Amino acid sequence: MSRRGSWFARFLLTRLLPILGLALLAWISQGAAWGWAVAALGFAVLACVHARQLVALLAWLDAPEKRAFPHAGGAWGEVLGKLSGRLRDDTRGRQEVEATLHSFRGAMDAVPDGLVIVDASHRIHWSNRAAGAHLGIHLPRDSGVIIEHLVRTPGFAEYLASPDVHSPFVLQAPAARTRIYTIRVVPLGDANKLLVSLDVTDARRVESMRSTFVANVSHELRTPLTVVRGFLEYFTDDGVVDGEQRQQFARLMSDQTARMLTLVDDLLTLSRLEAEDAPASEEDVDMANLLAQLQAEGKSLSDGRHRLDVNCLGPALRGNRKELHSAFGNLVSNAIRYTPAGGEIAIEWAMHEGVGVFSVRDSGVGVAAEHLPRLTERFYRVDRGRSRDTGGTGLGLAIVKHILLRHQASLSIDSEVGAGSTFRAAFPDWRLPAAK
Amino acid sequence: MSDHLSKQFDLELEHIRTRLLQMGGLVENQVQAAIDAFSSGNLEAMQQVIDRDCEVDANEVGIDEDCTLLIARRQPTARDLRLVMAVSRIVTDLERVGDKAAKIANMSRKLHQGGNQRIPRLSDIRHCGRLATDMLQSALDSLARMDVAAARQVIGADKAIDAAFNAILRQLITYMMEDPRTISEALDIIWIAKAIERVGDHAANIAENVIYIVSGVDVRHSGAARKVASE
Repeated sequence: MSRRGSWFARFLLTRLLPILGLALLAWISQGAAWGWAVAALGFAVLACVHARQLVALLAWLDAPEKRAFPHAGGAWGEVLGKLSGRLRDDTRGRQEVEATLHSFRGAMDAVPDGLVIVDASHRIHWSNRAAGAHLGIHLPRDSGVIIEHLVRTPGFAEYLASPDVHSPFVLQAPAARTRIYTIRVVPLGDANKLLVSLDVTDARRVESMRSTFVANVSHELRTPLTVVRGFLEYFTDDGVVDGEQRQQFARLMSDQTARMLTLVDDLLTLSRLEAEDAPASEEDVDMANLLAQLQAEGKSLSDGRHRLDVNCLGPALRGNRKELHSAFGNLVSNAIRYTPAGGEIAIEWAMHEGVGVFSVRDSGVGVAAEHLPRLTERFYRVDRGRSRDTGGTGLGLAIVKHILLRHQASLSIDSEVGAGSTFRAAFPDWRLPAAK
Repeated sequence: MSDHLSKQFDLELEHIRTRLLQMGGLVENQVQAAIDAFSSGNLEAMQQVIDRDCEVDANEVGIDEDCTLLIARRQPTARDLRLVMAVSRIVTDLERVGDKAAKIANMSRKLHQGGNQRIPRLSDIRHCGRLATDMLQSALDSLARMDVAAARQVIGADKAIDAAFNAILRQLITYMMEDPRTISEALDIIWIAKAIERVGDHAANIAENVIYIVSGVDVRHSGAARKVASE
């Protein structure tokens, strides 16, 4: 009230009183007619000034982005100043809200889970980036599209209509191809729904790998055990076994137990490798010496059936000798086992483009391209019968991969069916102290 | 009053489209499952595809009835009429695709039950199948989004499937010439490849109908679509 009063007083003092004063002066000096005339003129000028300001403000309001904000002195100046202050506050407030919204959107896009908000009639309102990869929903293109039109997997529409809180919907649609997603539906507000999609491909793969691993171990142990048990039963049932036969049975049984022992050893090696992150001790391994040892072992395994060619051209390698020996030995014995008699095996340690490469090249049976990615999986076998005949446990390459990982080395395999394979382990330069 | 009526009408149209796309989802699934079963030799999965074909047929009958009722009750015009007409055509295409899926499953069952496998299960079939399912998916997506540009791309993609089919054919002919014992097996595989190739054709038909709904241009058999697609 008092503010309004002071405004009125100022208006009275600065605008009305001068006009009235001038009019009064004219009245006294020139007569009543002059007084009226001066008053009328004064008010007319005042009205014109106000009208101009009003027009300027209206023009600015019509197109605020094109025109400059009007300026004026006096009472209008005050009004306009306050108005522009208020506008500035508004703009700043809006910018803050926009910035918050922007960073919020950014955060939502960074979420690895797919998020989609649909309204009561299941039209898409909003979605984040992951939803694009999971469900093929991209904004703004798909805004307003009914979600069942895009996610057409049988059963999804029913799930969306009456979501089960406890078990999510599992999606393996053509849109998802090889990946598997789970979708949960959360009610949002009165009628909206929030869909949360989760990529569970890896989790499922690990799950299935674990169960196949257990099944594989059991199977691998069971086979030799069955053989041994069969012989034992034979021994106990009828004692009439002549010496020569007994000898043969004993040899077969000892073969089988040896196989089980190798398998258990490999399993223990593998679990030890998995339990520790890094080798216990590292040293500069003399590669010429290690390769000579590999050659000797290879010769005894090959028994003169293959030609072994060993070349040591590289420097010493920093690592755990025992583990490296095991990894390289596995690669060499693989090459020997999968190469028919008369074949050629080349073992080489050399520098290639700044990294140390240990390679084993054979002229053996080779591996078809589709098996290559899975070759280092435990118990993965290209040809089940053959690899067991040659005495493999199915864990060799898994061990190799683990040891190489611990030495920051990478394993690459080139192979062609019938022409042979090359296994290469590349070690980073900092593991080659002498090369620098 | 009339506003309320038109809203109700829109809902009915939307409902028909939803049913159609749901049927599309089922058919997509059938084709994918049939091709997967062919590659993996999973007899159970093949049987499942064959059993589910009647579900597709039931869908066709239901949606057709909906279309007839809608025309009779609402007398749609312009774009709405085009939508209803196109829906009843797309339903036929989808039902045929469903039949093809069942056929693939049936043939695969025959092949795998026959036991003797002289011809390796060609990865080309899987490649061709991938192309066909991709096309079907894109066609249905373009229907969901009413996206003419995407529909034109689908029509253009049909050529790739035809080429893949011809490649399979040539390969099988080589097998048959080398060893006449492979003929019956090769013929079965040809049937499967042909069914997959037809899935692509039906997907292209669906895409043509999408263009018809949105722009009112009938691009069937005119060669116009291919011309437009290549632009």
